[in-house]
Parts: sequence; C-alpha cells; structure tokens
Amino acid sequence: MTPPPADHPSSQSPDAAFEREALPWLDDVYRFALSLTRDASDADDVVQETFLRAYRSWHTYTPGSDCRRWLFTICRNVFLRSLERERPTVDLEDAERDVVGAGRVYVTMLQEGYGDLLSQVDVLPAIERAVHELPEPFRSAMILVDIEDQPYEAAAEILGVPIGTIRSRLFRGRRLVQERLLAHAQDAGLARRNPKENE
Amino acid sequence: MSLAQIPPLPPECLEVLNHVWDYLDGQLNDETTERLRAHIAECRQCFEYKTFQENFCDAVHSLAERPGASPGLRARVLDSLRHEGFAG
Ligand SMILES: [Zn+2]
Repeated sequence: MTPPPADHPSSQSPDAAFEREALPWLDDVYRFALSLTRDASDADDVVQETFLRAYRSWHTYTPGSDCRRWLFTICRNVFLRSLERERPTVDLEDAERDVVGAGRVYVTMLQEGYGDLLSQVDVLPAIERAVHELPEPFRSAMILVDIEDQPYEAAAEILGVPIGTIRSRLFRGRRLVQERLLAHAQDAGLARRNPKENE
Repeated sequence: MSLAQIPPLPPECLEVLNHVWDYLDGQLNDETTERLRAHIAECRQCFEYKTFQENFCDAVHSLAERPGASPGLRARVLDSLRHEGFAG
C-alpha cells in the first residue's frame, strides 16, 4: 500500500495527530484526575486508562475541536467507573442561598477583622486544602471552572449536567470554601480584632 | 458556624450581592452587566465586595500552577499506548 504524499494534511497518521493534539494535555489531565481521586497513585491509573480510551476512540474526536475538553470528559467517565458506586449527587435548586451565604461570610470576616484574609501569606494552602476537601459534586464544578478555567458550558458537557446545575454546584463550592477560610482564620487567629490592643 | 446577618441593603447593592459571581463569570446579559458595573463604580461597599470575590476567584485559579504528571506516569502512558499499537 502506497502512503499518501507526506506533505498533504490528510497524510497525517492518526498516531501523529494523537501525539500532537492529545498527548500535550497529559499534565492537565493528570491534575484533573488528581483533583478527582485525591490520591496520586489512583490518579496515575485514571490517567493511563483515560489515554488508552482516548487512543482507542480517537476516530470519534473531531480534529481541531477542544481536545482538552474531550480528554477531561473521558477522564471524568473513567473516574466515575472506577468508583464502586457513584455518590449520590445533590442538585441545589437555590443558588441564591449560597450567594447570600457567601455575602454573610464576607460580612462576618469584616466584622471580625479578617478583611484582608486573601492577602495573608498562608491563605493559598488553606484554599487548596478547602477545595480538595470539598465533597462531590461541588469539587468537580469548582475545579473545572475556577481552576481549569473551563466555561460553564464546557464544564456542563464534561460533567453531563445542565449549565444551571454547574452554576449551583459552583456557587455552593465557593461558599463552602469561603466558610472554611473564615474558620481557618478564626482558628489560626490570623487577624487581630484590634491590632492596637497589642501595642 | 454562626454568621453575621446582612444589613438591609438598597436594591442596587442587593443586586450586586445576589449576582456578583454571575457578574464576574460573565454570565449576565449586556444590560445587567452594565447596570452592575455602573453601580460598582460608584458604591464603595459594592466595589470592595466585588474586589473580594474577584481576589478569591483569582486565588483559587492560581492553584492551577501545580505540578503535572510525573516522568514515570508519562512513560507508563506511552508504554500502554504502544502496547495498543501507537507508533508515536
Ligand atoms: Zn452598592
């Protein structure tokens, strides 16, 4: 069988296309898998299985479309199948309650003297811990939208839920993380109610 | 956790409270976005709240700068793909 001329785009072998379009997302898929499994060794297994499945179904990928999104969808499915059973998911009707809840967290921070909490040096590890301890399905929504920078509609597609569900899960996740930050600040005594008191 | 109650707010501030994340995430229509933008520009309290939520989302986003797959995993993935016939 004669191979097509090497300079023609259609001559790109599927393997070359896979190497060019899919493999560069290995780090992103790993981070996503790690955020789902919260265990490095489990994440490695999920990533290996994700790329294997991606390779086997490479013919279903539309060239030039968002390959990272496509891989994330496979990764999410691999992760779900790896669970004995999927945890029951909670769909919240009322995202407004979480928005207002976050407002109350903020007002409490101001009243207790933690207004500059986000500029404290150790806040990032606290945020990271809070995000990783979030229960599903809120964690996946926050990781996709806030950390991996996916638009709502991409996150909805990856998780197989309506956009409104992404919004409510995201808002619940953000509120819970902010509550954890407030608790962290209170525990650590990060701020003094009245700094002058100590002078 | 006991949280402070939010004091009664004028309707413009209430709209910012209820939609600050929709606003930051670009989920509102042009008219509503413009109304919130205009109010935030002139209301210090709403500006500070919007800034807090913006800084929070930026901080969460900065967690993306985390290490990726280990060389061992990279080799393992390539190995399993080659086993499957991958020629890369
Ligand atoms: Zn206002």
